[in-house]
Amino acid sequence: MSKPTSILDRQIMRPKNDQVSMSAFAYLYSELVQYHQTRVSSISELEQRLSSSGYGVGFKVLELLAYRSKEQSHLTPPISHTVDKPKTKRETRIMAILQFISSAVWKSLFGRPADSLEKSIDHADEYMIFDCNPITSNFVSVHQSSADAYISGIIAGVLEGAGFSARVSAHTVDVEEGESRNGYIGLPSRKDKAVFLVKFAEKVLQRDTALER
Amino acid sequence: MSKSANIAAAGHALWANTPKVNTELFALTYGSLITEILRDYDQDISEVNVQLERIGHSIGVRCVDELLAKSEVNGINIPMCRDLRETAEVIAKIGFRMFLGVNCDVGKLTDKSFSLYLSENPLNIFVELPSMSEDEGGSGPDWNQLKYSNIYCGVIRGALEQVNLKVECSFVRDVLRGDEVNEIRVNVKEVLAEGAGEDYHEE
Repeated sequence: MSKPTSILDRQIMRPKNDQVSMSAFAYLYSELVQYHQTRVSSISELEQRLSSSGYGVGFKVLELLAYRSKEQSHLTPPISHTVDKPKTKRETRIMAILQFISSAVWKSLFGRPADSLEKSIDHADEYMIFDCNPITSNFVSVHQSSADAYISGIIAGVLEGAGFSARVSAHTVDVEEGESRNGYIGLPSRKDKAVFLVKFAEKVLQRDTALER
Repeated sequence: MSKSANIAAAGHALWANTPKVNTELFALTYGSLITEILRDYDQDISEVNVQLERIGHSIGVRCVDELLAKSEVNGINIPMCRDLRETAEVIAKIGFRMFLGVNCDVGKLTDKSFSLYLSENPLNIFVELPSMSEDEGGSGPDWNQLKYSNIYCGVIRGALEQVNLKVECSFVRDVLRGDEVNEIRVNVKEVLAEGAGEDYHEE
């Protein structure tokens, strides 16, 4: 039998149906968590394992999105040579990469942008990404942030791939009164939302301030 | 036959009503699960296949309840399956459609077995099995033995167990190994008796 064409020669097309049901993902993710749970002895080790599972995914997501945005810019027909085609921009600033994550990455993975991105007042190297309904802990009964460690791993992977070393951890905060808490259909609205705390390495901050000048 | 048309329509309707997530995230998550298992079992391929089947079984036992509950909620009536053909149709047209959004066909039907054909598999959209290089000889793992999507076999086995059918499922043809279509062969071993067994008899 002849060797099939290598996967690297094929185009990265979007699959014909680019969605699967939420339940399929939820089942698969719960099995991933259970698989790790039987092999660790503490919650922090579980979070660390989930985070490293997400790390690899983050790298690949970054590559995929960068490739796709370039692909799309090639599809727009050139009107004239003077018109600027949107090029793939490699983000070099902290705020830019964080905005890329909270909008483009979130929209591609979860179908909606993250709820907000904030800079910490107390620490210069910390930023926070908020998500009211992280899909990884959608069906977890007692909401601990450990289930969201996978997403923090994805964020860390994207940042590392883009050249920003950072430590990302997942936490929960209670949802304040009056904030919109749109849950998924059929589920009661959640009482807490997930916060992904991003703590950049020292040299990343130094590089960022140097670029500002 | 209008029965099959109804089943197919039910599948489409259930798919339309489920909340959905990105296939790529699903595929990448499965990939990281496989990587973990490969690492933990030291690349012992047959053991990895067993683990995947076991994981699938654990998922499968929960799928049936969800299928029945969702169809109840959506007002879709799935009539009780009277023979193996209808069971196979429900798995293919409703089960696979509702959870994965893919088209699945039934074939090679006998009274004790059937085949499921999957032309598109959301799990392996980014996957290629490494080929054995000549210089390695026999030292590396034989990647052709890896049943990448073996989790489906476990899911089907677990789901049918919940409806009292004990089956054996295996991947016969796999796109990753060079075949054109994925084929899962399901063999019915026995029809289990109703009831939860000795330990649960009421006093």
